[in-house]
Amino acid sequence: MFKYMKTLNYPINIKKKDLKMAKYMYTQFGGANSELAAALRYFSQKFSMPDEKGKALLNDIATEELGHVEMICTMIKQLTKGASVEELKMAGLGDFYSEHGMGVYPSNASGEPFTVTYFSVTGDPIADLSEDMAAEQKARAVYENLIELATDKDVLAPLLFLRQREIVHFNRFKELYEHYKKKGY
Amino acid sequence: MLFENNDYNFDYDLLNLAGFNFNRPEKFYTTTTSTNGRLVTPEEGLQRGNMWKEEYVPYKGLTYEKVIPTNEKEMMLFKIMEMEFAVNDLNLYLDLHPEDSEIYEKFKEYTTTCIRLKDEYAKKYGPLTLSETVENTNYEWMKNPWPWENNGGSMYV
Repeated sequence: MFKYMKTLNYPINIKKKDLKMAKYMYTQFGGANSELAAALRYFSQKFSMPDEKGKALLNDIATEELGHVEMICTMIKQLTKGASVEELKMAGLGDFYSEHGMGVYPSNASGEPFTVTYFSVTGDPIADLSEDMAAEQKARAVYENLIELATDKDVLAPLLFLRQREIVHFNRFKELYEHYKKKGY
Repeated sequence: MLFENNDYNFDYDLLNLAGFNFNRPEKFYTTTTSTNGRLVTPEEGLQRGNMWKEEYVPYKGLTYEKVIPTNEKEMMLFKIMEMEFAVNDLNLYLDLHPEDSEIYEKFKEYTTTCIRLKDEYAKKYGPLTLSETVENTNYEWMKNPWPWENNGGSMYV
């Protein structure tokens, strides 16, 4: 089961409205390499991990990723705070507003809804972990794109934190992958 | 490492003039303190998103923004977040290396400290987890702010 803790993984306090940045941030909520895809990918894959190490690692990283989803949504929420309809239209969020108002809906930066076809579960630990390692690298690359797009330190700081987590997760998945290769999976 | 050929340099003086507050990488490394050489402190770990000294890879020389609390409540909260972060990062490692007793000892130390800090925080400022609600006279779990809210200041919770 899960228990909620009433803090973020990393402090976020964005004071400056930036609707364009909010739109870009959606890639990490509901895009192909998003935190949501990561959380659901590892959560689903944990059920077919063959030993204790794999079950534990996939479970624990999935849990952390859900906390990252909350960070991304928090950033979007704060970046859009106080926006007028006119401002949303100007930033290219008019289409989004027509369906979701000021809600935060899992979609990518172009407004396409999240889909679970972004990831797979094969039941084969080597295949799944290869995907997981690639997913961490792709998410790292996306964070670097977002870092290049960011202009506010309140946005930049959590992006740098989240990018670093991708690096750590990649290293853990790689260790598990090598462990399974040695075991002959 | 991911960025072996990364020779791009930010102008730190210019960045800091623009209101940023980044440590220079070389300064960062010299101030790193750790108990067994492999870990950084939870404070540094949270700020850079990585407890492991050897695994840290900054992007284009950008390290991290210093998190500076503005009051006692925030300071306590950041200390809890630091401990939670350290516990989580060691948790992932220990899943694969349960025999590493040195890291397990640190895990126990951070976990114990974290429980104590959360208990103190709950008594003073309200619960961070549902079970801590019992520390308060009235039911306070549903009270604002929630972590995604910032009412013009820094709330975090």
